[in-house]
Amino acid sequence: MRIYRHLYQLWLKLKESTWVFAYELKRIFTDPGVVVIFIVASLAYPVLYNFIYWKDNIENVPVAVVDRSNSPESRSFLHRWDACPDVTLTDYCCSMSEAETLLRDQKVHGIIYFPDDFAQALGSGMETAHISLYCDMSSFLYMKAIYLSCNQVMLESMRGVQIDRYEAMGIDQEIAWSLVQDAPYTETALFCPTGGYAAFLIPAVLMLILHQTLFFGICMLGGTAREENRELFLLPGRRRADSVLRIALGRGAAYFLIYIILGVFVLLLVPRLFHLPHIGNWYDVMRMYVPFLLATIYFSMLVSTVIRNRESGIVLLISTSLIFLFIAGVSWPQQMLPRPWVYLSYFFPYTWGVHGFLHINSMGATLAGTSREYIALWLLAAGYFLATCLMLWLLGRLSEKKGADWLSRKSGVITSVR
Amino acid sequence: MAFFRTIGRVVKRELRRMMIRPLYLFASVGVMVLCTFFFLTIMQKGAPERMPVAVVDKDHTAISRRLCHEMEATSSVTIALVTTDYTEARRAMQRGEVYGILEIPDGFYADLVAMKRPELHFYLNNAYTVGANTAYKQLLTMCNLTSGAFQREVLRKKGLPDYLIMKRIQPVAIEAHMIANPWGNYAIYLVSTILPGILGLVVLMLTIFAIGFELKTRSSHDWLRTADHNYTIAMIGKLIPYTVLYLVLGISCSLILFRFLHFPVNGSLGRLMLGMVLLVFAMESMAITIIGLLPTLRDAISIGALYGMLGFSLSGFTYPVMNMLPPFQALANLEPLRHYYLIYVNEALMAAPAINSLPHMLALCAFFVPALLVSRRLYHALVYQNYPLK
Repeated sequence: MRIYRHLYQLWLKLKESTWVFAYELKRIFTDPGVVVIFIVASLAYPVLYNFIYWKDNIENVPVAVVDRSNSPESRSFLHRWDACPDVTLTDYCCSMSEAETLLRDQKVHGIIYFPDDFAQALGSGMETAHISLYCDMSSFLYMKAIYLSCNQVMLESMRGVQIDRYEAMGIDQEIAWSLVQDAPYTETALFCPTGGYAAFLIPAVLMLILHQTLFFGICMLGGTAREENRELFLLPGRRRADSVLRIALGRGAAYFLIYIILGVFVLLLVPRLFHLPHIGNWYDVMRMYVPFLLATIYFSMLVSTVIRNRESGIVLLISTSLIFLFIAGVSWPQQMLPRPWVYLSYFFPYTWGVHGFLHINSMGATLAGTSREYIALWLLAAGYFLATCLMLWLLGRLSEKKGADWLSRKSGVITSVR
Repeated sequence: MAFFRTIGRVVKRELRRMMIRPLYLFASVGVMVLCTFFFLTIMQKGAPERMPVAVVDKDHTAISRRLCHEMEATSSVTIALVTTDYTEARRAMQRGEVYGILEIPDGFYADLVAMKRPELHFYLNNAYTVGANTAYKQLLTMCNLTSGAFQREVLRKKGLPDYLIMKRIQPVAIEAHMIANPWGNYAIYLVSTILPGILGLVVLMLTIFAIGFELKTRSSHDWLRTADHNYTIAMIGKLIPYTVLYLVLGISCSLILFRFLHFPVNGSLGRLMLGMVLLVFAMESMAITIIGLLPTLRDAISIGALYGMLGFSLSGFTYPVMNMLPPFQALANLEPLRHYYLIYVNEALMAAPAINSLPHMLALCAFFVPALLVSRRLYHALVYQNYPLK
C-alpha cells in the first residue's frame, strides 16, 4: 500500500509540471521578442539562406585570355574550355598587363596565358608545352571553378596530343590508347552529385538555425524572468529548492512542443522544397532530432541561468554561431581541428546533431549506421538535464538565503544605473 | 571649452557604466580574443592534410599495394581503411569516417599488363566539401600517375631515354599561379574576413545595447542632462569610450594578422587599416540607425542580430556575390562588411591603386547618412521615453 501512496504523491507532483508547461507556453506567446526569435526567425532564415545560395554552383566565372601563341592548338583549347559551364572567356587581351588590369579591377577572376612557343612545343613531339593560369584567390570557389575545369580540358587535350605522337611513332591507335590511359577511372560524387555549395552548407545551417534560435530564445526568457524577479523558473508559493524537477520538465516540454513542429518544417520540408539532398528516411531524421532537441533545450537552460538580462545573452553569444559551425567540423574538417577543440566540441549538442543529420539526411545512413551521434546526444541530454536541475536548485537556495529580490537586483534593471 | 568639458562629463559617466556591467568588456575584448585564438588555432596548418580515405582492394597484388603505399606517402590523404567490400567502405563514409573511396577492381594487375585497360573507380563524400575536394585532387592525381607510370615502363622497355619519356607522358602542363595565396592557405582566405566581420558584429550589437539600455532602464534623461540636453554631445560622448576600444581591437587584429603572422599584404596596410576604422564607424552608424528606427531594445537587438549575421553570407567572401540572385546582389551593398572585404581584396591581394578602394571607402562613409536622418526620432525617444520597455 505504501508504495502506491508514494506513487500517488509523485503523480501529484508531476501533475504540477503540466501547470508549468502551460505557464511557460503562455509566457512564450505573450512575449513578442521571443516569438520573433523562436518562430519568425526559424521560419524565415531557412528560406532566406536558400535564396541567397539559390544558384548552388559557381557558373561562368569570367576569365581573360592572353594568347601569345595564337595557334590552332591554343584556340581549340580555349574553345573547349569556354564550353565548360564553370568559366566564360570574356576578354581576349594583347598583353599580360592588360589582363592584369582587368583582374585588379575585378572584371575577371582568372587569366590564362599561352606563351609564344606553345604550338612549337606541341608540334615538336619532344617538348612539354606550358600554359600559365592565374587565379583570383579572393574566393576559393573562383579558384576551384577555374582550376578544376582547366585541368580537365588539359587532360583531354593532352591525351589527344599523346595519341598523335604515338601514331607518328608508328604505334597502332588501339595500343596507343591503352598506353596513354592504361588505367582509366570513373569518378562518382556521392550524396550531392553537383558538388554545389548550397547542398553542402545549407543542411548544416538548418541545424544551426534551430540550435541558435532555441538558444537565444531560452536565454531571453531566462533573462526576462530574472529582470522581473518572477520566482525565476520556480513554482510560486513552493519551497524553491523542492520544485526543481517539475520546473525543468514542464519548461522543457513547452520548448519541445514548439520545436518539434518547427523541426518538421526546417528539417523535412525545407530540403524537399528547395531540392537540397534528402535521401534519408524522414522517420530516422526525426528520431535523431528528438535527443538533439532535448540536449539543446537543457544546454540552453543551463546557460540561461547565468544570464542576467533579457538581451545580454544575444549580445554576448551572437558570435558563437560561427564558432559552433567551425568547431563541429563541418565547414572545416574535424581531422584538422587541434585535439583540445575537438574534445570541447563534444560538449555541444550541435556537433553531434549536425553530423547525425548530415549522415541520415544527406548521406542516407540509417539510425543504426550513425549510432555514435545518437547515443552521444542522449547522454548530453541526460547530462544537461541534471546540470540544469542542479543549477536551478542552487539558484533557489541562494535566493532563499539572500532575499527574495536577489535575482533581479543583480540584473540592474529595477534599480537603474546612475 | 564648455563643449569639451560637457563631452568629458558624458565620457566619464559612460566609463562608469562600462565598469559596472561586465558585459561590455566580455562581449568586446573577450569575444575578440577568443575568436582570434579560435580561428587561428583551427586553421594553423592552412590547408587540409591527411584526409582519411578508404581503399577497396579487390585485386590484392603487388601493384595494388604499391598504389596504397604511394597514396599514403602523400601529404593530403591518409588511408583509414583497407577492405575488400565496397559496402563496408560506404558505411564508413556514411559514418563520416572517410571522405573518399578508391576501388581497385578484381584482376587489376593482370588486366593492366595485358593492356585490357582495367578501370579504377573513386567515390567522394560531397556532403563534406572541403575534405572531399582535398581527397578528390589527390585521387585524381594518383589515377593519372598510375597511367603515367605504366606508360613510362613500356617506353623504357622500348629503349627511350628518361628525359624524353617524361615529355611524352606530359606533353601539356599547367602552371597554376594562385595570386597572393600561393599555398592555398585557408587561414589567409577565411580569417582575414571572418575576424573583421566578428568585430563588426560586436560593434553593432554592443552599440545598440549601450543606447537601448538607456531607454530600457529609463536613464536617458540622466544621460541627456549630463550632456546639457545636447543630442550631438550626448551621442559623441557616449560613443567615444567604445569607439576607442573597438579601434584598438581592430588595429591590433590587423597587426596580428598582417604583421605578426605575415598574412600577405601586397598593397598598402595603411589603407587596409583605414578600411577597418571605417568599418567600425559604419557599424556604429548602422547601430544608431537601427535603434533610432526601433527605439525598443528588444526589437533593435533582434533586427540587429539578423542584419549582422547576414553580413557574413552577403559579403561574398565564401560564395561570390556575382553568383547570387540580383536582389541579393543589391542587398549586399547594404552590408559594411561587403565593402571592407572589397577593400581587403584590393589592398591585400590585388595591390590595386588607391582609386580602386576609394568607392568602397566612400560607401562605408555613406552609412553615416541614415544615422543622421534618424537622429530626431531617436532624440524624441530619449526625451519622451514613449516606447515599451520590454
